[in-house]
Amino acid sequence: MSNEVLVDVKGVKVHFPIKKGVIFDKTVGYVYAVDGVDLQIRRGETYGLVGESGCGKSTLGRAILNLETPNEGSVEFDGVDIASLRGEELRHKRQDIQMVFQDPMGSLDPRQSVESLLLEGMKAHGLANDEKTAAKRLRELLSAVGLPTTALKKYPHEFSGGQRQRIGIARALSVNPKLIVADEPVSALDVSVQAQVINLLEELQDQFGLTYLVVAHDLAVVRHISDRIGVMYLGSLVEEADADDLYAQPLHPYTRALMSAVPVPDPLVEDRRERILLTGDLPSPANPPTGCRFHTRCPWRQETKCDTERPQLRVVSIDGVPASHRVACHWAEQIESGEIRPHEVAATLTDQSGTAGDHADFVGPASVTEAL
Amino acid sequence: MTETIENVNQQQSSTDALLSVRDLTVTFQRQGEQPFRAVDGVSFDVRPGQTVGLVGESGCGKSVTSLAIMGLLPHRGVTVEGEVLFQGTDLLKESNNQMRDRRGRDLGMIFQDPLSSLNPVVPIGIQVTEVLERHRGMSRKAATPVARDMLDKVGIPDPERRLKDYPHQLSGGMRQRALIAMALACQPRVLIADEPTTALDVTIQAQILALLRDLVQDTGTALVMITHDLGVVAGLCDSVNVLYAGKIVERGDRHPLFAAPRHPYTAGLLSSIPRLDAPRGERLTPIPGSVSDNLPWDHACAFAPRCPNALEVCREVRPELVDDGSRALRCHNPVEVNR
Repeated sequence: MSNEVLVDVKGVKVHFPIKKGVIFDKTVGYVYAVDGVDLQIRRGETYGLVGESGCGKSTLGRAILNLETPNEGSVEFDGVDIASLRGEELRHKRQDIQMVFQDPMGSLDPRQSVESLLLEGMKAHGLANDEKTAAKRLRELLSAVGLPTTALKKYPHEFSGGQRQRIGIARALSVNPKLIVADEPVSALDVSVQAQVINLLEELQDQFGLTYLVVAHDLAVVRHISDRIGVMYLGSLVEEADADDLYAQPLHPYTRALMSAVPVPDPLVEDRRERILLTGDLPSPANPPTGCRFHTRCPWRQETKCDTERPQLRVVSIDGVPASHRVACHWAEQIESGEIRPHEVAATLTDQSGTAGDHADFVGPASVTEAL
Repeated sequence: MTETIENVNQQQSSTDALLSVRDLTVTFQRQGEQPFRAVDGVSFDVRPGQTVGLVGESGCGKSVTSLAIMGLLPHRGVTVEGEVLFQGTDLLKESNNQMRDRRGRDLGMIFQDPLSSLNPVVPIGIQVTEVLERHRGMSRKAATPVARDMLDKVGIPDPERRLKDYPHQLSGGMRQRALIAMALACQPRVLIADEPTTALDVTIQAQILALLRDLVQDTGTALVMITHDLGVVAGLCDSVNVLYAGKIVERGDRHPLFAAPRHPYTAGLLSSIPRLDAPRGERLTPIPGSVSDNLPWDHACAFAPRCPNALEVCREVRPELVDDGSRALRCHNPVEVNR
């Protein structure tokens, strides 16, 4: 792994408009899916993006491929701003960034044979001009992902879920990408098959020197596969650290809660561990809380700052915490030292209708009653 | 399909069991196709206040087992054999009307996807009171405060207002809570939870699991927990049944089972899951093949093609479930335990 930055995401915001009205397509609000994210992915590393549903992790992954155009900010890939590329240039750039999707059945055309699925990308990027080398390349790809050559003439429905995911990975590999964005690559697979795909991704990384961005909700999977992890909550990164550091010492209250909620298949651990149960649900991204996005559910919330000032990712001054470990919490030091104790948070209702404006009563600290 | 050793062992213990499933076999028959046995001689007991887990991957028959217990399988093309004894009466012999009286009153069920198991055009308050009206003969007026208390008990904030809400107005976690409130409205003695947290986020999953744990402790409800997640089982279940291809391959109390799995499938599952507390950089040991690479149970062990311990005999003779009281195991060549 080098220190050279391959992907540089600067202040990316992706806001989806909420439209209403039949004749006049009036925009009544925005879903703040990604709301100001900075992150760097170094060449050869695996960056894990973790968070619960609706936190914007998939949208951020798609924004890096320019599948969603950011409203603000830029994504630099290999020194080139992807958002500024148009047409043929962009199409050409996509050779370097490939994606592996969650649902292997939904992302493979059921009427294309494996051969034609794999050749399509290669042809589009001029890698399959010579039939012989293309055939050789196909065989290499299949053996790399552990499928027999007889698979070429088959169709996606003839394979099991794990094998389909292998086809999806082979398709991503077919154009020699530099970066692979894997959006929930194993969550649709059976437990016993997940490990096969995780191991395969790791082997391919060693073999081809790939850089990965792995987007997943399963913290255990992400920690296993990633070198660095970013934890997302409601459209922004709340903590970023090396995988080991994050597990050894989670600093953001949300990360702590998330870690304590992940079930571990060991009754001894399960019986002993201290659980931080969050109350209530994720607030609607159409109407995010002011200040720190997490303050409505945070057991360590303070009277000042939390509901008014939005914390930025910063390096904390705690002994033993490296500079690569950044956290977006005003009180990270005080929480770590035990100066601030957790308190009860009453659950609040989450507005599911998705529109801002009409539900002013959900905004702000008034919705949280503290039992201090 | 007789499993003599097991039956003898369990008939002794079945006296205090609230729900005991005996040799349950579910066969799906389609015209022009071989009959498919989804559940193949499954037996287990649940005592009051006990949580029993059924764990397995997709296609192992865990959901079909729950539907068979509830009498929710269609009658055409499905044969259900064996016994489901609830306080001594065989539920499989009861008529549709009798089962309709039992569901919701004696047996409650929580489904995986709360949105598709709630009626989208009826407010949740009415869906909860409906259970009380049906089984307790209460009027809606009398049932409403009870429903409100139920919603409050399962942790839905502001229950008075939520009674009038439709399912789409609630978040996933709240919907699941509403579904639990419905299942618990008549205080059933047995609660069957079929993947109750699979559709939910981890922090919400932790809330729902804590809620179920408290319910079992406070009310003495017997809980059958069906899941594919060994982590959930490790924290919640007293006794764990591991299913593979329609049969129980291993059963034990959670502590010894997780500490020393004897069946290669259980051991394989445990070593193939990335653990949050494991040292990083270790390779996972996956189980080769996929869940569909099975041999028929008739003359072999279904797991043999994927099994690292497979012997010649595994492909020729069906292993029987041998129960030594603390652990039941169906394997010719179990994993050695270092003691």
